[in-house]
Amino acid sequence: MVDVRLEHLSAEFTHPSRGTVVAVRDVDLHVQSGELLTLLGPSGCGKTTVLRIIAGFQVPTAGRVFIDNQDVTSVLANRRDIGFVFQNYALFPHLTVQENVAYGLRVRRQSAADIVRNVEKVLQLVDLAGFGPRLPDELSGGQQQRVALARAVVIQPRVLLFDEPLSNLDAKLRVQMRSEIRELQRVLGITTVYVTHDQEEAMAISDRIAVMDQGRIAQCDTAEELYRRPASSFVASFLGRTNLLDASVVRRDGDRVILDMEGQCLSVEASAAFGAGDAVRAMIRPEAIGIGPAGEGLRATVVTRTYLGDKVEYVVRCASQDLHIVRFNPTESERFTPGSEVTISLPSDGVQLLPGN
Amino acid sequence: MRHIGPSISRRLVLGATLATPFIRRAAAATEVNAYSIWPENYAQPVFNVFEQATGIHVNFVRFSSGEALARVIAEKANPQVDLLFGGPVETFTAGVGKDVFAPYTSPEAAALPGRFKDPHGLWTAIADDPLVFMTNTAFLKQHNLSPPASWDDLLNPAYKNMLQMADARTSGTAVTRIFSIIMANNKDENAAFAYMKKLRQNVQLYTKSGGGGTLPIGLGQAGGGIFFIVDALYTRQQGYDVQISFPREGIGSAAECIALLQGARNPEPAKKLIDWATSPAMQSLYVKEKINFLPANAKVQPDQTMVDMLKNAKVLEIDDNWAGANRERIVARWVAEVLNS
Amino acid sequence: MLSLIWLLLALFVAFPLLMLGIRAATDNGTFDLMPAINALRQTNTLRAFLNSLLLATLVGVLGTALGFLFAFTVARARVGRLMAWLLDTATLLPLISPPFTTSIAFVFSFGPRGFITHGVLGWENAQVYGLRSTLVAEALTYFPLAYMALRPMLTAIGGNLEEMAFSLGSSRWRAFRTVTLKLTVPGLANAFLLLFAASLADFATPLILAGNDLPVLPTEAYLQITGMFDLKGGAVLSLLLLVPALLVFLLQRRLVARRSYVTLGGKGVRASAGDSVTPKLRWVLVIGCMLVVLFIFYLYGLLAYASAVRAFGANGTPTLANYRVVFTQGMPAIRDTLIIAAIAMPLGGLYGVLVGSLVGRVRGGQALELVSMINYALPGTVVGIGYLVAFNTPPFLMTGTAAIIIACYIFRYSPSGIRTTIALLAQIDRSIEEASTSLGAGTATTFRRVMLPLVLPAFFAGLSVVFIRSMTAISATIFLVSIHWTLITVRILENMTELSLGPAAAFSIFVIVVVLVVTKGLELLLRQLSGRSAQLMMVERE
Repeated sequence: MVDVRLEHLSAEFTHPSRGTVVAVRDVDLHVQSGELLTLLGPSGCGKTTVLRIIAGFQVPTAGRVFIDNQDVTSVLANRRDIGFVFQNYALFPHLTVQENVAYGLRVRRQSAADIVRNVEKVLQLVDLAGFGPRLPDELSGGQQQRVALARAVVIQPRVLLFDEPLSNLDAKLRVQMRSEIRELQRVLGITTVYVTHDQEEAMAISDRIAVMDQGRIAQCDTAEELYRRPASSFVASFLGRTNLLDASVVRRDGDRVILDMEGQCLSVEASAAFGAGDAVRAMIRPEAIGIGPAGEGLRATVVTRTYLGDKVEYVVRCASQDLHIVRFNPTESERFTPGSEVTISLPSDGVQLLPGN
Repeated sequence: MRHIGPSISRRLVLGATLATPFIRRAAAATEVNAYSIWPENYAQPVFNVFEQATGIHVNFVRFSSGEALARVIAEKANPQVDLLFGGPVETFTAGVGKDVFAPYTSPEAAALPGRFKDPHGLWTAIADDPLVFMTNTAFLKQHNLSPPASWDDLLNPAYKNMLQMADARTSGTAVTRIFSIIMANNKDENAAFAYMKKLRQNVQLYTKSGGGGTLPIGLGQAGGGIFFIVDALYTRQQGYDVQISFPREGIGSAAECIALLQGARNPEPAKKLIDWATSPAMQSLYVKEKINFLPANAKVQPDQTMVDMLKNAKVLEIDDNWAGANRERIVARWVAEVLNS
Repeated sequence: MLSLIWLLLALFVAFPLLMLGIRAATDNGTFDLMPAINALRQTNTLRAFLNSLLLATLVGVLGTALGFLFAFTVARARVGRLMAWLLDTATLLPLISPPFTTSIAFVFSFGPRGFITHGVLGWENAQVYGLRSTLVAEALTYFPLAYMALRPMLTAIGGNLEEMAFSLGSSRWRAFRTVTLKLTVPGLANAFLLLFAASLADFATPLILAGNDLPVLPTEAYLQITGMFDLKGGAVLSLLLLVPALLVFLLQRRLVARRSYVTLGGKGVRASAGDSVTPKLRWVLVIGCMLVVLFIFYLYGLLAYASAVRAFGANGTPTLANYRVVFTQGMPAIRDTLIIAAIAMPLGGLYGVLVGSLVGRVRGGQALELVSMINYALPGTVVGIGYLVAFNTPPFLMTGTAAIIIACYIFRYSPSGIRTTIALLAQIDRSIEEASTSLGAGTATTFRRVMLPLVLPAFFAGLSVVFIRSMTAISATIFLVSIHWTLITVRILENMTELSLGPAAAFSIFVIVVVLVVTKGLELLLRQLSGRSAQLMMVERE
């Protein structure tokens, strides 16, 4: 089995007008064997650069790349045994589907019979049996995507690399293709690095996600951990919608702290880093906040109410801060119209503390 | 008259109207239009003197002899100029055959010998221009040669690929040269063509214009060639080290002529220019302006160095009538047998 | 408007060709093909025809190879800023130079006492005239066309197709062979045809360099007319030239019309191809290009030197006398040329935009485009002789006027304006026009307020090409100049035949400077007007 390890990776560019630009800063990352790890982040965060360095298309300014415990930092792309899927698929426009897929096999000098067999097999796998003689031009976007996928996996690469492969597809196809990619990866068991800026896609497809921000890895963990316990407000706000409320620590109480939040006392789980008097930000997911008729507790005013069938989204104003609240499967009686006074309840186990400003 | 043409479209007219202020030129009181075969540095100074003397302005463009005649023929229905000025007599005899000239006899013509005028007054000589051999001095020294003094000297293998001379399809110089060779062979055409075929082995390039080879010879790119004396002397004046010599068998000479065109729009000033050009008034300028022609008018004293140079040269008379009648056939034969051999 | 355009095309494209055909096929008013057939049967004619094809083929191959070398180097070898400037300048100069410039420099560089063959290499009997010189001089003059056709293509392919091939394990050479080269084939074919046509039509280079053993059709047709006073023979020869020229033109149209694989500037295309050549190969490419660049600069350096000395090769005293000749004796030609260019430019630019926007919007647009391209596709010799024959007699008496030269420029050099307009409008969504119409604007308003600003670059491209050609073309206009209107290029040819090499060189330098200044000025003006930078050097062959 094959793993990928990045050590102290940095990359700089010379930009014509902005001078030297640091795209990647001191990145350490370990992609486990058979794992699908996603690099997630906004555009310009350096995720694609990391991917291209793994592929060998770019040389890092500093740091090293290991594939299967072998230092490949100075190995050329064509000797790394990787499969790459580009955002624009990069299908060879002058070759048929069959020839596109066979390209890597020809390079590897497989016999003609083997090539035919392998291509057939992989085209079946991506549901394109019978499309062999067509030119890429004659295929739909989704089909082109599958050809690109087939071409990348047919050579049985040690590592599969995806660079925003779904961004050129429409929303519906995107959902379908991402599960197909996930399925294929699981079946083949190839260690995979996947780049996207779409958090939902990342959560749906990945074993682990590395969130990148300004050339650094902000946090790397499973989707659930990232969602529940983001290490920074950047990660918190990049994954899903969230509320970040200013608060201060009143006192510690074992592995919990007592918070003062808008005059409301709240006991939450907290690491030892937080002590009495600290200013903190409390991260609360919208679905964790309760809402009820005006009464005892934290008072708020409804600003908007959006009915979405299986859920209702509220924006309420509480003191000076706006809060997002999501209620799933709302009962018909639970209807708070804009302007009405409500009471909200903050759960003690749904709050994550982050350092304050 | 300058005019921008019939109204072809509204847009052209609009463009023309917009540009009108730039187009009108102050026209002289009288003017005359000419195609000059003489180079500009010869034509301009004499025309300036003419304008000072008569008040008549000469508009001219310079073309090589073949092109000038081709234009005159093409424009026969709608002549653009009044005169054909300068250029060797064979161009003018060819023009007579194409019926492009109008007769006019200047007062000076009576005194001219037969080869300097057309019997019907269709053209008149303004200068004489013998052919010469011109060789590069350094080339001669390098190959231990003396300047060629016979036509056969040019067949010396030392000249292989090193001679340049004009192409008979475009150049009057070339046609005069071919006639010279025929005359030097006592009008035995076959012998003359046999000689020219042999000469072809030594020819590096047949140039489009008569003087085209002089500069390469001056530079040493070629060793030698056959040119009108006017071009050879000009090369020397430029500072190139070249030798001028003559074949003892004799060599031809071409009268430089002027002719009035049929349908000329300014016949009167044109005739004045012919009178002036055939008279000592113009031809005495040759020495002063370093125009290397011999005057045709016997009243004008030629340049002494040219006289000395030509003292021992044997100039062959070319029968203009015969030349005019046989020109096309001879040129075609030259193209077929010599150029493409 | 459409019928006016068709009328103009009939008069200035179809009519001259028709008259040319009639002239070739009649004798003194009676229909007689014999003289034409006799002219065709001459071995010399056949030889000139075959020579033209041979030369054009070789120029096509060599020029395309050079163009590919330059385009590939720029697209792949990560050249620095200085290098890129050198390459751009070296490829620009030949396209904006008057005719003869390369040829003059060749004559003095090679040959028995040539500066290079004798002076530097010490050879004794090198010959300059013939196929070799003509081929190299034409290839150097026209390879920038191939370069400009291939560079955007190679840059577009440069992105991740090569990386893809790479990641699939192929070597650099294999990726180049199976992907880059394969995808460039239509571009190479296009470049070859461009150069083939350019060489086929070239008049100036073979006139100076071909010598006696390489007669080609354009010079033979010229000599037939100017030397043998044989307009009919010239017409026959030029019609012979018309056959391969039209064939190449139609072939090229088909090639370009076929959908190319390479989509320029497509989404996600990234030109980071720094690693598709090894450092060693990079040096080979750079040195290869530099040798060509240096040679081109040497040729122009020689020209500049010849323009500034008393007598090239005999008297090296520096002098301004040659430039004095340009600005005294040459002044009428300069004035005429500039007046003609000043009138032809706006008319040509407008005509190009007009025809270009009609092509996609009217019935028969395809035919309109095809017919409007004919004068450009034909060698200048054919067009020039055609105009001479057609407009020399009433009812369309135009010889001797500026109008005939202006018309020649407009209908011969506007195709770039037409094509740029078509290309620009193709990118503009039809709905933009519809949006304007839906807001209540009439057709004229829509054109003026919406379409015109959008096609402004095409208008300027038209201006630029017409101007460059007004300053540098000769093959057609040599037949159209007159006592009243003459042109700088014809002056240069006359200077050459008068052996006034210094003034010829000075004129050439003057033309190059003026063209550079005016085209740069147009570029700045366009930037001012449209607020975006633009490359106007959409240079076409003569």
